[in-house]
Amino acid sequence: MKKRTITRRDFLKAAAAAPLAGAAIPVLRGAASAAAGPAATSPDGKVRVVLVRDPSPLGPGGAPPAEVVQRMLDDGVRALLGEADVVKAWKTLVKPEDTVGIKTNRWRYIPTTAEVEQALKRRVLDAGVAEDRVGIDDQGVLRNPVFRNATALVNARPMRSHHWAGVGSLIKNYIMFTPQPSAWHDDTCADLAKIWFLPAVKGKTRLNVLVMFTPLFHGVGPHHYAREYTWEYKGLILSRDPVAADATGLRVIQAKRREFFGDDRPLQMTPHHIQLADTRHHLGVSDPARIELVKLGWGEGALI
Amino acid sequence: MSRPQKPDPGPLASFIPRTAGPWLSEADQVFDAASIFSYIDGAGEVYRSYNMKLLVARRFHKDGKPDLVVDAFDMGSPADAFGVFTHDLDGEDAGIGQGSNYKAGLLSFWKDRYFLSVYAEEETPETKALVLGLGRAVAAAIPGEGKKPELLDLLPPAGLEAGKVRYFRSFSILNYHHFVADADILRLDQAEDAVLAPYEGGGGQSDLLIVRYGQEAKAGLAAGSFREACLPNSKGKAQRMKNGRWTACRALARYVAVVFDAASAKEAETRLDAVSRLATGPRPGWK
Repeated sequence: MKKRTITRRDFLKAAAAAPLAGAAIPVLRGAASAAAGPAATSPDGKVRVVLVRDPSPLGPGGAPPAEVVQRMLDDGVRALLGEADVVKAWKTLVKPEDTVGIKTNRWRYIPTTAEVEQALKRRVLDAGVAEDRVGIDDQGVLRNPVFRNATALVNARPMRSHHWAGVGSLIKNYIMFTPQPSAWHDDTCADLAKIWFLPAVKGKTRLNVLVMFTPLFHGVGPHHYAREYTWEYKGLILSRDPVAADATGLRVIQAKRREFFGDDRPLQMTPHHIQLADTRHHLGVSDPARIELVKLGWGEGALI
Repeated sequence: MSRPQKPDPGPLASFIPRTAGPWLSEADQVFDAASIFSYIDGAGEVYRSYNMKLLVARRFHKDGKPDLVVDAFDMGSPADAFGVFTHDLDGEDAGIGQGSNYKAGLLSFWKDRYFLSVYAEEETPETKALVLGLGRAVAAAIPGEGKKPELLDLLPPAGLEAGKVRYFRSFSILNYHHFVADADILRLDQAEDAVLAPYEGGGGQSDLLIVRYGQEAKAGLAAGSFREACLPNSKGKAQRMKNGRWTACRALARYVAVVFDAASAKEAETRLDAVSRLATGPRPGWK
């Protein structure tokens, strides 16, 4: 009998079984992932993920005001790295001699947002990187000279349900570093994590930011978007580990689906690329039991 | 040596109105199966799996109002137009074309070999009326009608939920509607087409899958592969699964029929018997 490695239901059960974590801010430890770069871990070896939320009203572009986004990002980075001074924290992420690509996502309906892009860029500059060696791009990364010469990457994108991959994830955000993105669609994007081992990105990622201001938890039609299926979560999820951040964001999406639909309805496609990034490709950690979730700021409606 | 000719988007574009009330259209965008990902990201795989030929996208804009978007797909055949329409059946029948659904600002329908999506970026009473009006105008402009796939004729009518039938050609799409396995154990990559239909009975819902292969030998191999993976103890009969429901699989000439989640072995076997009769005898015909 052929053995089934993972089923849609198996994955959902694992994703839903996460314990709540406290809000203490532990110190940085030096675990490492060859493809993603060093990970922030807690003293007990768990991979650290920070969820920071703010109740401020969102602007027309779908983000809180720029100063609020900067504060959320700074609080998140400080908590993630256990460093009180945000500029010092960023100096542990990037060096003045680095060339830094900020990989964004400019999907028409829910982009990373300019506020997040500029908040990240500001701190990269504060860390001493010259402005002409900082780039922000999405679909043009293979042609962008900053990204072609990048020694460091910052990965920032919104999480949303996705018609083929289950969810649009941080892992998936690097698909534009491949010349033919559709070549990664087999088995509903199961092996997206392999992209992270390509020379253009391997070992370069210093920070992952999963934007959760207005996540999409369900999609309809060719464009897989309806405002009815978004909500104002007003959060950012930060981690050195893209898999841990994605697994955490997915828990939020799943929780919202349970709340909205009133049942444990599976995503339209299994987001198994997140779990396989851990179990098959060893890019990071997807098991909630091995993730330390640090929650900051607005707690109402956090869902996890 | 001549290059393959790209399909002419003109006829498809001619079905779409230039205005929608006070909304004015922008320049058309045209995509084929290779370029569709630049327009709709990963969902392009759905349309590619149904052999899409051409997409003409027309956006309608009015300052201060949500945009409207018409995506008109030439799927190459009525079967594939019907199939891609059945991919998402969530919504209410809008009575447009040969089958339609409306939900949350999105109208989808099929007619002849065309599949249409008409979409308002934000649903309001005004945009809903415009979306439905655009849909009716496009449907009226498409002159012909298409026939549903013959494979649907093999679905026994008793208990069939006819409005929820899915037609497809790929195992990823099968898994989307009814998760079977991570691997293509039914060898859909070698099949011609497949239909998945829910049945309502006293014991709850079950699903019937029928896959058509080009040759009887391929159907036999696929049935064997499925039984080996999912029904190792069945000895050719229905097998009770972990969830307490019954699954049965049978090769019928060029077809493989599988009943999932029947309330009893008898229900599963009876439905397969009915498929067998339809596969070898007169069929009820599908409207």
